[in-house]
Amino acid sequence: MLAEQIRNSLEKLELEKVAAGDYGRTGYHVEVAAKPEQITAIAQVMLEHQCFLESLTALDLIESFEVVYHFACFRELCRTVVHVPLIKGKTAPTISSVYPAADWFEREVFDLFGIVFAGHPNLKRLILPEDADFHPLLKDFVASS
Amino acid sequence: MEKKTGEPLIHFGVLDEVLDLCRANSLWPLTFGLACCAIEMMAAGAARFDLDRFGAGVFRPSPRQSDVMIVAGTISRKMAPAIVRLYDQMAAPKWVIAMGNCAISGGPFYYEGQYAIVPGADLIIPVDVYVPGCPPRPEGLIEGILQLEEKITHRGRLRKFR
Amino acid sequence: MMLEPGIEEKTFYLNLGPQHPSTHGVLRILLEMDGEFIANSEPVIGYGHRAHEKMAELRTYQQYLPNLGRVDYLHALAYNHGYCLAVERLAGIEVPERAEFIRVITSELNRIASHLLWFGAYLLDLGAFTPFLYCFDDRENVVDILDRVTGSRLTYCYFRFGGVRDDIDDEFIAGCRAFITRLRSRWQDYDDLVTKNVIFINRTRDVGIITPEQALKYGVTGPCLRGSGIPYDIRRSEPYSVYPLFDFEIPIGERGDIMDRYVVRLCEMEQSLRIIEQALDKLPNGPIMAEKVPKRLKPAEGEVYAAVESGRGEFGTYIVSKGDTKPYRIKLRVPSFSNLSIISELIKDTLVADMVAILGSFDLVIPEVDR
Repeated sequence: MLAEQIRNSLEKLELEKVAAGDYGRTGYHVEVAAKPEQITAIAQVMLEHQCFLESLTALDLIESFEVVYHFACFRELCRTVVHVPLIKGKTAPTISSVYPAADWFEREVFDLFGIVFAGHPNLKRLILPEDADFHPLLKDFVASS
Repeated sequence: MEKKTGEPLIHFGVLDEVLDLCRANSLWPLTFGLACCAIEMMAAGAARFDLDRFGAGVFRPSPRQSDVMIVAGTISRKMAPAIVRLYDQMAAPKWVIAMGNCAISGGPFYYEGQYAIVPGADLIIPVDVYVPGCPPRPEGLIEGILQLEEKITHRGRLRKFR
Repeated sequence: MMLEPGIEEKTFYLNLGPQHPSTHGVLRILLEMDGEFIANSEPVIGYGHRAHEKMAELRTYQQYLPNLGRVDYLHALAYNHGYCLAVERLAGIEVPERAEFIRVITSELNRIASHLLWFGAYLLDLGAFTPFLYCFDDRENVVDILDRVTGSRLTYCYFRFGGVRDDIDDEFIAGCRAFITRLRSRWQDYDDLVTKNVIFINRTRDVGIITPEQALKYGVTGPCLRGSGIPYDIRRSEPYSVYPLFDFEIPIGERGDIMDRYVVRLCEMEQSLRIIEQALDKLPNGPIMAEKVPKRLKPAEGEVYAAVESGRGEFGTYIVSKGDTKPYRIKLRVPSFSNLSIISELIKDTLVADMVAILGSFDLVIPEVDR
């Protein structure tokens, strides 16, 4: 039910992909792929449907990044995943103005991957010491003792 | 950097032996949990295991009031300076127990390429007793404290009150 | 900075932690104080960072199992469960029914141990020492039961892909039943000692209120959310394992203050006892491991997200596989992280003493926040 409503609302935004997910295999009801500049609008739609931000993370795909957002709902079982491919060196817009929860998640991703979220009010390292000069979850990261 | 030590500044000759006996039987640990081992440290202080039987049950939240620091858990690089400062703030004579594999050597979290932890408390502060386990059982911690008492009094456990 | 006579500085900074008895580990909060009131605050986390997510990329699926017991050591079996669930979904492994029952029983026992520890430690924060001894007395009984079957007291690594490591025996079942009777006889003591204590009520009623809107925006889950009156429990909302077979309630609060969170946790322990009781009654015979689980697990390319209800809220495992024996990326969605992010908003303009009460009511596990 909710999955259908979310799909209908998201289709109006002309995203790259809005599809029903295979819940039994992946745990998703709605799968979405979008461009970085569309994510704020998507977050707004998700908030209107009373969904909360479950997690926000990133993948290092060697040539590019992918930012992954998970949304779920308190009222009904419906998980939405949003994949946002990002060229290395480019910034993604922040959604912390819509979801305050994203504040820390984005700082964590910045800390571990070095992805800059444009418009974030307080983008500094969250987990590593402030004077650290590396981003450990990059695939080419090698620790020096 | 000068080498850290937990030795007292002033010694009193023969009186020291008496003082050591007193110190050994009323060790006040610092309330200081880093990770999983802290829960076992709490369990050791609680109802069943009751560290108070050995005089070591008075956990103090302030380093100024405590004699023994139980490093219970993984030391992250971000935390390491704070641990050194806490150690410096403790009044001599002071002792350190490294509880659990993480505090001994990095334990399960040490591997080639680990960027986040300090593999071993003895790299930053002098350690007197090592208690292995992941996490050690409360009995293990009690044994560690008894070993420390032996070290302080320079006597075997059974002949302490000779 | 020297203050000139006649010039008053309005606010000052207070550094709480990373070593502080009320932060349950190594959390640090920078407080900007206006007298006794908190004008602004900034939590600083990362003092317990152990690089769990980087380790996942360097280990095979099986080798990563022991890590899960150490992310949230208080409810380790839920983390075992969440990770196994995700990998089983990814690799298409079916779990036999008896194993699912054992998983539920042990995981619920672990939840009780986790809540009992919170109960004791939280009242220690508020200055009451006796309940700490009471609850550890009870907790040792659970730990003994779990120790018998899992082999460790705290950081369990008991679940395997496709089942569990060891079968439970009659002595385990008898121990569970004895424990259920024992804990039920204790509720009255807990109520008399704590719940009806006027000091406790005054410190917790209408303090640290989380509204449902705030919970939605910050992604708060677990007892903190249910205290605000939203009946969201993964065991019911997104059923996994054999939870749909059991009859249990989701306790919720009304106002969303600390007292409600406290009552929710106490009621949850009783519900866990009910689940264990029913599971012991219905326990089927059969194998405890799925057949033909490959030693070298090599799931097909793809990604999966699986969530379970841990003692602190929703624990989600997000695995991306590239068809290798090692996962390409594992993201652990931990409840304490989202729950803690609301703290700055909650403790604004409260007293320092209330801040300690609010912080403790979240049931934080700091190495879980930092991973």
